[in-house]
Formats: sequence, structure tokens, C-alpha cells
Amino acid sequence: MKGECMDLISGRNPLIIVVGSGGVGKTTLAASLGVLSAREGRDTLVMTFDPSMRLKQTLGVGEEARLREVPVALDAPGELHASLLDAKLTFDRLIERYAPDEESRRRVLENRFYQHLSGTLGGILEYMAVERLFEVAGDGRYGQVVLDTPPTRQALDFLEAPKRIIGFLDSGALRVALKPWFDEEGRLKAASRWGVLGRRAERFLDEVVGMDLLRDMAEFFQAFGPLFEGFRQRALEVEELLRSKQTLFVLVTGPGEERIPDTLFFARHLEEAGYNLGPIVVNRVHPRFLVGGETPSSQDPLHPNGWELLTWAGERDRRGLVELAKLLSREQPLVDLPLMPDEPTDLPSLEALGRQLDSRLCEWERYVSRTS
Amino acid sequence: MEGNRLMNPIEQLARRQLVVVTGKGGVGKTVVSATIGRALAAAGRRTLIVEVDPRENLHQMMGTPPSGGDILEAEPRLWVQNLKPRQVLDQVVRDQLRLELLARRVLDSLIYQQFATGAPGLKELAILGHAYRLLHGLGGPGAPEIQTVILDAPATGHGVALLSAPALVTDVITNGPFSRMAGDLATLIADSERCGIVVVTQAEEMPVEEALELRTALRDRVRREPELLVVNGLYPPAPPEPPPSTGAENELVSLWRRRRKLNDRELARLKESWTGPRIELPQLPLDRGLPLLSTLGRCFAESARR
Repeated sequence: MKGECMDLISGRNPLIIVVGSGGVGKTTLAASLGVLSAREGRDTLVMTFDPSMRLKQTLGVGEEARLREVPVALDAPGELHASLLDAKLTFDRLIERYAPDEESRRRVLENRFYQHLSGTLGGILEYMAVERLFEVAGDGRYGQVVLDTPPTRQALDFLEAPKRIIGFLDSGALRVALKPWFDEEGRLKAASRWGVLGRRAERFLDEVVGMDLLRDMAEFFQAFGPLFEGFRQRALEVEELLRSKQTLFVLVTGPGEERIPDTLFFARHLEEAGYNLGPIVVNRVHPRFLVGGETPSSQDPLHPNGWELLTWAGERDRRGLVELAKLLSREQPLVDLPLMPDEPTDLPSLEALGRQLDSRLCEWERYVSRTS
Repeated sequence: MEGNRLMNPIEQLARRQLVVVTGKGGVGKTVVSATIGRALAAAGRRTLIVEVDPRENLHQMMGTPPSGGDILEAEPRLWVQNLKPRQVLDQVVRDQLRLELLARRVLDSLIYQQFATGAPGLKELAILGHAYRLLHGLGGPGAPEIQTVILDAPATGHGVALLSAPALVTDVITNGPFSRMAGDLATLIADSERCGIVVVTQAEEMPVEEALELRTALRDRVRREPELLVVNGLYPPAPPEPPPSTGAENELVSLWRRRRKLNDRELARLKESWTGPRIELPQLPLDRGLPLLSTLGRCFAESARR
């Protein structure tokens, strides 16, 4: 039976990337695919961003997982490891690696702008996650890597990070940024070239953003300069890995019609950008209950009872699924997983979830081949 | 009934200039922002809800047309706006430079573009600064007079990034108008008489975890407590008697019981460490839209009376 089905954990896709909006259960699904893969006998690494406390306990990962891959106590033919992605830490490590000498390393790490780089500099922090992925994918220790993506709505930023980095490096922005902007007296050089406008621009910059910040930024780019070539090469390779036909994307979403535009946007974007999109998984779907006879009514719009709520939610989620299926192409694998009474957090329930996903995919394939 | 202690959360929030609604993505921040906004407007407060999300969910929910960033009146005394931080930032540049030619030159320059996306805390500052200007009647010609701005904070990252941005910016930018504005905003956010922070969560493990982390981060980085906790999307209390024995009903009741049990466990965890005012809202069998908001408003009021 197995042979004729699409098999997520077949080893054909050494890298599986789980994407989707926040709060839909990506991390749990990534972990369950990892457990399944180890069961199938492959040495597996699950890389996650922000697992729940319970999941962390289950996987047995603590703070040390930010630094290295930690073995999970799972009795299976393959070994299971887990790691936590920490963008800032990876960035620091990257700088340590690419800095040509101690002086450049120190200059970047101590730069005030770098230290405050809490947002994204053209997606650099998201990029760090991919960078860490590349480190482990490259060393060949694992037959299977499952990557959970950042808990952001714009998780696509994450995929575009390498491209944006390359774009940034190639755009000339860097050359501009690397130019010594300030002369010996700490005055903006361009200002003198621009004449009256330049002096006004300088005054503006000083008044609005303050020269201190600009000086910090200019210094950062200069200090970062020697690191860029290695950085760029790496970004190109990461980009290639993400687009490889062997890399499979699993798109996870939640039930309900209001999620559909997001899901479609994600799916179309992934395909148009040339990523290998595998199944779309609608997670935590309320089951449909065909309740016979009379069910008690609460008679109170403010306090609906469980019969009213759950039958309504079951219908709503069904409507959402049907609508989504209509909008996707027939060839697009689409499966739903039911809302469980309890969230799967221990190893057996994670494995059960993984198996359920596998068998739902099988059912989907059989259904499609029967009806085509 | 006069003392602060017994004051209804809506009456409390109606005294604030700025109400920041924050929490993990997917917990219902926008629904709660809209519910609070409608309650404040109904109580006579001229209120603006600012949403920072390109999908304009708020507009859909309130039945207002997509605004493209304009301030729209949704109900008497209630306005809504979808904000794009980058546009606000660009506007600051235009206002400061006055000359369009020069402004273009700055806006098109690569260094500005890297600066606008990369400078720490700047986007957050633009969002807060926009609220600040409206509250001080600096919203420009045609802007309504606003008494309370409700900020439906972006889902990305912790809300604490937004709330601590002014302090961060004053640290990085040491002079000029951004720095001054950041200083004023940091003072506003620290002042619990003028600024209210509402944390929205669901009684499930990850959202509760994040709500507790958020409170710790607020203590550490903004040195204050949130004003109100809203627990959204609760399953109904399960029936006391054992479930009837027909198959389908059995499964339904079992799912209902277990999900509610999970809610209760997480509620207990919240209550253990969160002593401030708390609103509990049920999951309702209604699609997004005004009927949902109206019913939720009544649930909110009912929970506030307890």
C-alpha cells in the first residue's frame, strides 16, 4: 500500500521546510515529521524556532540547543536531534567565521548599530536561520532535516532573505554604504558636493536622525565590508539549496474561510518563486458532528453551549476546506488534520500525528487517482 | 464604588490617550481592539483604532471599505485607520525637508532606504509617533479630533518591541526631532495614567506562555505592568453530567470537555501569576463581522462586571 502513495518521509526530500502563518501548529508538525523520520531509520534533525515549553521538554532541548544539535531520547532505528534557531547568535558566529582578522571581528561586534540590530536589516536576521540550516545540511550527518520557519506572518521574508542579501550586495548599496561618508572632521562628505542642497541635507540628517546614528551605521558597514564576499557566496549556495527540487515545502494553515486568502497567497507565491511546494495541510479542523435528534439549546447568544459551538465550527471549517479546494489546482495535494482533544506534545502522540498526516496524504492520492 | 479598584475596565481605558493591544498572532487582537474601540465610543470617547497589517482585517470586520491608509469614520465617535509605517516615515522626511526635489533625493537614496528598513526601532517609532501626532491635534487638515488611540499592534515579534522602541531610539539617536519625539513617547508609555496596555491571549499553552513572557519583558524593558488581560476564545463550560451514549454526541462532548479542560488548566496557570483585571471572552458561533462584535461587546461588559 505504502509504495503507491506519496510518502513525505521517504528520504527523497532530505530537506523539508514547514511554512505558514503563526499559531497554526507548524512546530508541532515539524517535530512529528522528525519523529516519524527517525522511526523510519533515518538520522534526523528538527530545527525549530520557538517550541512550546512542553514540546521543548518532550524533545529534551534546553538553552544548549541554541548552540548545538541536541539528541532526543527516542528509541528508534534512526537518531533524532533537535536544535533551536537563534538569529543573533548565528550572526555573531558568522562574523567570527568570516572576519579576516581579530580587529575586524571586534569592530563589528562592538558596533553600537550592530548591537541594536533588533529589527531586520534587509532581512539579515531571517537570513541567519537559513545560514544555520546550511551549516548542518552541509555536514552530511543527517539523512533528513526538518526545518520549522519563524513565527511571523510574513514567513516569506525568510525565504527571500538570501535573495535580498545578494540583491543588496550587488545593488551598489553596499559600495555606497562602504564609502567613507564622513571626512576627518566627522562632516558628511557628500554635503559639500551637493552645494546648497547638500548643506541643507546635512542639516536635515543631523536634525532628524542625528549624525551619531549615521556615523554608527557607516562604521558598521565599513567594519562589515571585509566579510561580505564570503557572505555573498554563502547566500548564493543557500538560495540554491532552497530552490532545489529535492527540497520540499509543506504549507500549514488553519481552518476557516478567513484563512483562505493567506493560504492562497502563500501557495501561489511559493510556486511562482519556483519552490517545490508539497502538500498544504489544514491543521486543527473541527470535526463535523452529525448529531442526531434534539440537542439542548442554550437559548442565550452570550453563552452558547458546546453542541451549538462545535456543530457550527465543524460546518464553518468544512466550508473553508471546500472553498480552498475549489481555488487550488487539482494536482495540489490538500489534506486536513482534525483538532485533537489534547495537543500532541509527547513522543508517541507526535508520531501518531505524523502517521495521520501520511495516511491522509495517501487517501488524497487515492481519491485523486480514482476521480481523474 | 468610586475607588480605582472597583472601576470597570472600560471606564479605566476611557481615561487613557493611548491603548496598545498586544499578544501572539492569531489570538484575536483585532477583534478585541474593535470590541474595546466600540465600547469606548459608546461611552462617549472619540476613538481611533489603528491597525498595522496590510490585510486590513479591521476594515472587513467593521464593514468599512478598504481605506488605503485614510482615517475612516466607522460609527459615531469611532474611526479606523490602516497604517503603513514606511509611509509615515516618508511623510516625516517630506515634512522636514519641505522641498519636494530634496525630499525625493533623500527618499530615493539607498542609504535612506537601508536606514528606513534597518534602523532599530524606527518603524515602531513611526507607528507610535503617528498616534502621538493625532492625539496632539497634529494630524493635519481634516483629521478628526481624537481622544483615545487604540493601537492594534503588529503580530510580528513581541509587542514589547513596539513598546520599548522609544526608549531604544533615544539610546541610538541622541539628538533631533526623532529623538525628542521618542523621548516624549517613552514618557507616555511609562505613564499608566495616560497609556493602557492590553494583553490578549487564548487559554492555550503557547499564547499563555507568550503572554507571561510579555509581562516579564514589559517589567524589564518598559518598567510597567499591563493594564488588562483579555482571555479570548474560551470553549463553553462542559456539562456536569456524563455524556449521553450515542456515538457522534459522545465524540462531540468529549472534544468539548477536553478542550475546555485545557482552557481551565491554562486559565489556572494565568490566575496563579496574573493578579490584575482579567476579561474572559467565549468562542461564539458567529462569523467575523458586526454581529460578532456586538455580541462580543456584551460578553465583554458582562465579564467586566464580575
